[in-house]
Amino acid sequence: MDCPTCEAMVDAYVDGELSASESVAFERALDTCPDCAKRLETARAMSRLLRELPAEPAPDLLRARIERELRPVAEARWRPWALAASLIAAVSVGWLGGTLTGGRNTDDLVATYLRVTMSEHAVDVASSDRHTVKPWFAGRIDYAPPVHDLTASGFPLNGGRIDIVDGRKVAVLVYQRNQHKVVLSIWPSASSGNAPALVTQRDGFALARWRHAGFELRAVSDLAPSDMASFATAVDRAVDAER
Amino acid sequence: MSDAPKPDAGTVERFRLAVLPHLDSAYGFARWLARDPVLAQDVAQEAMLRALRYFHAFRGGEARPWLLGIVRNTWIDMTARNGAERLSLDAIEDRPSDSPDPEQSALAGDRRRHVAAALAALPLEAREILVLREIEDLSYKHIASVLDLPIGTVMSRLARARERLAAELRGRLGRRDHGLPDL
Repeated sequence: MDCPTCEAMVDAYVDGELSASESVAFERALDTCPDCAKRLETARAMSRLLRELPAEPAPDLLRARIERELRPVAEARWRPWALAASLIAAVSVGWLGGTLTGGRNTDDLVATYLRVTMSEHAVDVASSDRHTVKPWFAGRIDYAPPVHDLTASGFPLNGGRIDIVDGRKVAVLVYQRNQHKVVLSIWPSASSGNAPALVTQRDGFALARWRHAGFELRAVSDLAPSDMASFATAVDRAVDAER
Repeated sequence: MSDAPKPDAGTVERFRLAVLPHLDSAYGFARWLARDPVLAQDVAQEAMLRALRYFHAFRGGEARPWLLGIVRNTWIDMTARNGAERLSLDAIEDRPSDSPDPEQSALAGDRRRHVAAALAALPLEAREILVLREIEDLSYKHIASVLDLPIGTVMSRLARARERLAAELRGRLGRRDHGLPDL
């Protein structure tokens, strides 16, 4: 091996980028080449000096800033009105535009989700017990919505509330999935027959609409679409189990 | 940037697992690029948000080189926006020794300060490649992907960067202290 060749190999050798046979050839050449041996010594010394520099971990403040950006992809990162605007735009494009809507005001559904996720006052009746939540609706709305705790499916019931959708009082159930909320609005359907859940995704939100057992169901959440589909399945299964 | 889809909750979870653990690396690299701890936080934060935004385009492999490439692009974009590269060597020159090891002599603390100052004094091209190789411990292949260079160029740049650093160090440290042979 001539000197230019072994000189060119010094860095790769120090950096562990030579193959075993190349390393052997280099080490052999090194014995006869004092200049390259010196280069090697220098590269190693510098490597040592750089590696003993103390690593500085990311400051807590930076970590907190990033956490804040991550957690509320769905919520606080945008101002509520901006979020509402984007969601309204999203749903008006493709979500509730079909015949299943029955004229329901999509803005109202979005507003319901925002009220639940952004206010301290998320539910009017806070309970995971359906025997508390279901009777609470009696006398407040003119139908009895199906209320089930879905803890076994991974969606514990947080409680219920009433919201006005298209000028009419509607039952709203709030479920939890880890730190996410799923907001389910339910009202009696004017059509018969079931319609399977249609899950769409807009602006980081999963939206689901379906018809089951005589009810129109609309769910809004920041869950992954697959989780939203599981949620709809869990609701249907619980409703069917009771009939 | 605006055409990237907004991440859904599932994406955020995957991002947390794959990318967030490398925040220390992202910040450390940003610190050496920016040479200013406050500016480095801005660079690292912006890079993390970009990474999240483009996470859907991340096709597995190693997340750390991928993230470091974004940190570098972010830094370049930010300096292009703010005019010339901002110099704040003082931030590093004046930093007190923060070794937690009581056995580390003042001499070792001094040496580290000098080494940090020498590295910080290098031009960006030499600085970034040394940090990626020696501090982030990336392979040539990963350095090539971060810097978007062929491997041959990585090797020649690295050799030049080491020469420059050696010269800087010889100017700052006494011969006995750094263990560097004269060339």
